[in-house]
Amino acid sequence: MSDGDAAELAQIARGDQLAFTRWLARSELRLRASLRSFATTVDVEAILQETLLRVWQVAPKVTDRDGDGDPLFRLALRVARNLAIDEVRRTGRAVLPEPQGLPEDARHLPDPWLRALVERCLAELPRQPRRAIQQRIASAGGAADASLAEEIGMRLNTFLQNVGRARSLLAKCLSRSGVHLESERP
Amino acid sequence: MTDRERELLVEQALSAHRERDAQGRVRSSPAWHDLVESDRAAVFDAALALRTMEAALDPEGLSTTARAVLARVGMPSSAR
Repeated sequence: MSDGDAAELAQIARGDQLAFTRWLARSELRLRASLRSFATTVDVEAILQETLLRVWQVAPKVTDRDGDGDPLFRLALRVARNLAIDEVRRTGRAVLPEPQGLPEDARHLPDPWLRALVERCLAELPRQPRRAIQQRIASAGGAADASLAEEIGMRLNTFLQNVGRARSLLAKCLSRSGVHLESERP
Repeated sequence: MTDRERELLVEQALSAHRERDAQGRVRSSPAWHDLVESDRAAVFDAALALRTMEAALDPEGLSTTARAVLARVGMPSSAR
């Protein structure tokens, strides 16, 4: 673990939310990708959010005993896997998925080139799909789709169709620039 | 289930919005539970792509998932 990582761990352990924000930015996508083997048996979004909340809660007790890598990320991997297995058992499934290899480190995020490209693709969307997906992003998971739809004067189904259309058009736009996010493993 | 109904469920499952249970734990999406396995796999891939795009757009590299978590831990908006 580098001096910078050790300092960041100490900051997070002291309750520094900005340090936790930086850790989240580089860890979330890797953690999500690590749950691929559970994709059809648990709602990964729910497992991921619960994991990240628990990591924040127990961070003050985390120490870097072996000096190998990011102890908070290792903790997150264990918590996420245990939560996923608990959920699989709770729903009565007999076969537990095997863990898969971890994606590469994603410390390069955020990527200014990708940001400019996504912004350009977003600007090129037709008005209604753009409004819908921007509403979704701005809500930051803080409101149900029915509320978001109502706020911009759309029926729920229309809102969802527009979000789907926006995703599809964004993927096509990115693809024209050689970016295929759905096949990437961050 | 029609294709249209299935597509709407997929879009709902892709949202970062999740309800909490009585103990405050994050609940899974009802829409996700209504999907068949192949659609759940598609949701996983689409979520990875969508969160990558969201993070790319965000000045701090945070997706809506990360923003939802920060809101839950009481991160004031002025500190973001």
